[in-house]
Amino acid sequence: MSLISAKNIYLRYENTSVVEDLSFNVEAGDYLCIVGENGSGKSTLIKSILGLKETAKGHLHMGDGLTSKQIGYLPQQKAAQRDFPASVWEVVLSGCLTSKNGGIFFSKKQKELALSNMEKLDILPLKNKCYRELSGGQQQRVLLARALCATEKMILLDEPVTGLDPVVTAEFYSLIRKINSKYGITVIMVSHDLFTAVNNATHILHLRKTDSFFGTTAEYLKSEIYKSFSGGDTL
Amino acid sequence: MMQTLEILFSQQFLVRALIVGVLISLCCALLGVSLVLKRFSMIGDGLSHVGFGAMAIAAAAGVAPLYFALPIVILAAFLLLRMSEKGKIKGDAAIALISTGALAVGVMVTSMTTGMNVDIYNYMFGSILTMSGSDVVISSILSLVVIALFGIFYNEIFAVTFDESFAKATGTKTSLYNMLISALTAVTIVIGMKMMGALLISSLIIFPTVTSMRLCKSFRSVVLTSSLTSVLCFLAGLLISIKFEAPTGASVVCVNIALLAVFSLVKAISGLNKPSVLKRILVAAVCALSLTAFAAVMLAGESSSYKKEKPTVVATAFAQYDFARQISGDRAEVIMLLAPGEESHTYEPTPEDIMKIQQCDVFVYGGGESDRWADNILQTAPESVRVIKMLDLVELHKAKHGHTHGDGHAHEDEEYDEHVWTSPLNAAEIVSAISEAIIEADGENAGFYEENANKLIDGLLRLDIEFEKLIAENRGKSIIVGDRFPFRYFAERYSLNYSAAFPGCSAQAEANPKTIADLIEKAKAENIDTVFKVDLSKGNVAHTIAEGVGARVETLYSCHVISAEDYENGESYISLMRRNLEALRQSFE
Repeated sequence: MSLISAKNIYLRYENTSVVEDLSFNVEAGDYLCIVGENGSGKSTLIKSILGLKETAKGHLHMGDGLTSKQIGYLPQQKAAQRDFPASVWEVVLSGCLTSKNGGIFFSKKQKELALSNMEKLDILPLKNKCYRELSGGQQQRVLLARALCATEKMILLDEPVTGLDPVVTAEFYSLIRKINSKYGITVIMVSHDLFTAVNNATHILHLRKTDSFFGTTAEYLKSEIYKSFSGGDTL
Repeated sequence: MMQTLEILFSQQFLVRALIVGVLISLCCALLGVSLVLKRFSMIGDGLSHVGFGAMAIAAAAGVAPLYFALPIVILAAFLLLRMSEKGKIKGDAAIALISTGALAVGVMVTSMTTGMNVDIYNYMFGSILTMSGSDVVISSILSLVVIALFGIFYNEIFAVTFDESFAKATGTKTSLYNMLISALTAVTIVIGMKMMGALLISSLIIFPTVTSMRLCKSFRSVVLTSSLTSVLCFLAGLLISIKFEAPTGASVVCVNIALLAVFSLVKAISGLNKPSVLKRILVAAVCALSLTAFAAVMLAGESSSYKKEKPTVVATAFAQYDFARQISGDRAEVIMLLAPGEESHTYEPTPEDIMKIQQCDVFVYGGGESDRWADNILQTAPESVRVIKMLDLVELHKAKHGHTHGDGHAHEDEEYDEHVWTSPLNAAEIVSAISEAIIEADGENAGFYEENANKLIDGLLRLDIEFEKLIAENRGKSIIVGDRFPFRYFAERYSLNYSAAFPGCSAQAEANPKTIADLIEKAKAENIDTVFKVDLSKGNVAHTIAEGVGARVETLYSCHVISAEDYENGESYISLMRRNLEALRQSFE
């Protein structure tokens, strides 16, 4: 059974229809990249997947025990966060809030989960550092660790490499690959970067208003939409 | 020094101030962290203005201010939250709209009812020293609730503050917690207004957080440090206000400013050497400690001045102070609370003042609306304090005064005047009451006091005759006062015709344009060449009228507050009233 299956859904932003008649599936272990121009409805789709917004028509189906609250989300950074006095530990641990269920304090198990996720992303030494004093790449790793704390199955990343330099960007992408292949976490990533998308993802969802493309990366590379979007260059 | 502190903190009013102050400082610091980091700093400011408006309406309607303001401010908090969430009007604009709007409504309501009375000034600048017992209980309970809820939902509040989109996506009910933060802020603002005043309360929310953000690197340390600095600043501010007889609210804010400067400095210095976190916290602790030590040292110089050989008389305003000092000569200590030149309507007792009242032998005050703070203090005063309430001595003047404006329509205000002493006959009444009380306190010098009192009463009666003669000779003439009018007892005594720009004696901000026009017409019609202002007033309205008519501006002395210069020159009630006599005589010529 698919983790997410969407069949003929319609999305609206304020009062305009942005995406019509969209269908796609996400299976466990997939690495899906969502690409598309600005205003093509990427953010709206993310909100729908996260359960923050209803679809205008049709249904986004969650399967295999996944609910929208169990998706580890890595949102775009806001300016306010850049000078926020919080330690890395506090930020990562806040990802466990979903599973806290009523108690006042975090349980020992949750703290262990946070520690193990920090270890996976090589940020254990940063534990007591101040979030705002980290480099951009380190900050993204911290937020990724937090996202992992909130999920067992799937992470959703919204343009995670914005503002990072090429070396750090490459490192970050390889980290995502590792999470996907080594730990079996399903990845959905919104990206501007078509080149890395086709190099990393197993599936591509190219959003357009009416004739969005969804398929495997191999299929996408052969498609018309890819050729016109990438300016006819082939890899 | 310890002795001074011991005496101070055995006083009930200070213990109350201490309890409530510490609790409110804690609440403000906790919520401040979230508000400042969410870029909602100005919400506190906006809500305090709403609180002011609500309190003004409550005062006008005669309902308990706290119970009325609390739901209104909570509602306003939700409204602000919704407006900024919906994004239709940007958050800062929404706050400015609501806060200035509420302020304007508050001012409208007060100007249409009581005028800017003492309560309103208290809401603006706070009066933590005159809290009633029930105020203390309610404030304490509410702040404990705020602190408890913040503790219980600490992790949620962190998540919502740090990254709302993540928290929302992973199933935290962010709007619920935003509402919680808003509601807690509203409660804190309303109870804090009593202490800090509407104009200063938001500084308690902002300063501790901004200060601790200089040095702290985690959310938890910011929360703890700002709680600690907030409480320390309150304590230091309270001590400073005792030492310098300064208002408590402003003192607390000034200590906060100083601490922010210290923390910023420490940050600048430590930024150069990059010491460890521990080292920085150590530096901060040293700073905080030295600050409290500084406040303590300031108190150390104070020797216990409360031991007294002579009987003491405490008088709130100049007239009764003058009477008491004339009666007692050098054999009693007479203290005037309203300093020369001080604005009587914004007067707020300092801890020192309250101590003086509670330890004196005779306390003389007006007892009207503007003295309500004193009633609170007297509740806890010992029996040994003999209280003279001047309004009780003379018949309460609550006449409907229908003084006409130029067009002849009567202006009916049900308002009473507290300046009972402006009639010399009343003054004589007050003098005998004061001398009786002083004699009761110090029987040994009874003869001396009695003689002085009789001499004084003689002078007052002579003054009365002269006024009566002058005004009787000029029957039919009237005077124009382009100011408030604190002479109702005087005017009544001699049946003096007058027209004043403000109906009562409250320090209103603006005069009604129609009234000014009417007064100018009247002056022209009656060929009046003198427009009066009241002493210590700038006389803006009087000058406007005088210019319109081509008249000169003269001063009438109310003897409520004496100017610093007159005080230095040793002027008395009688000498000031003689100036009035001369000014009236000239205006009639």
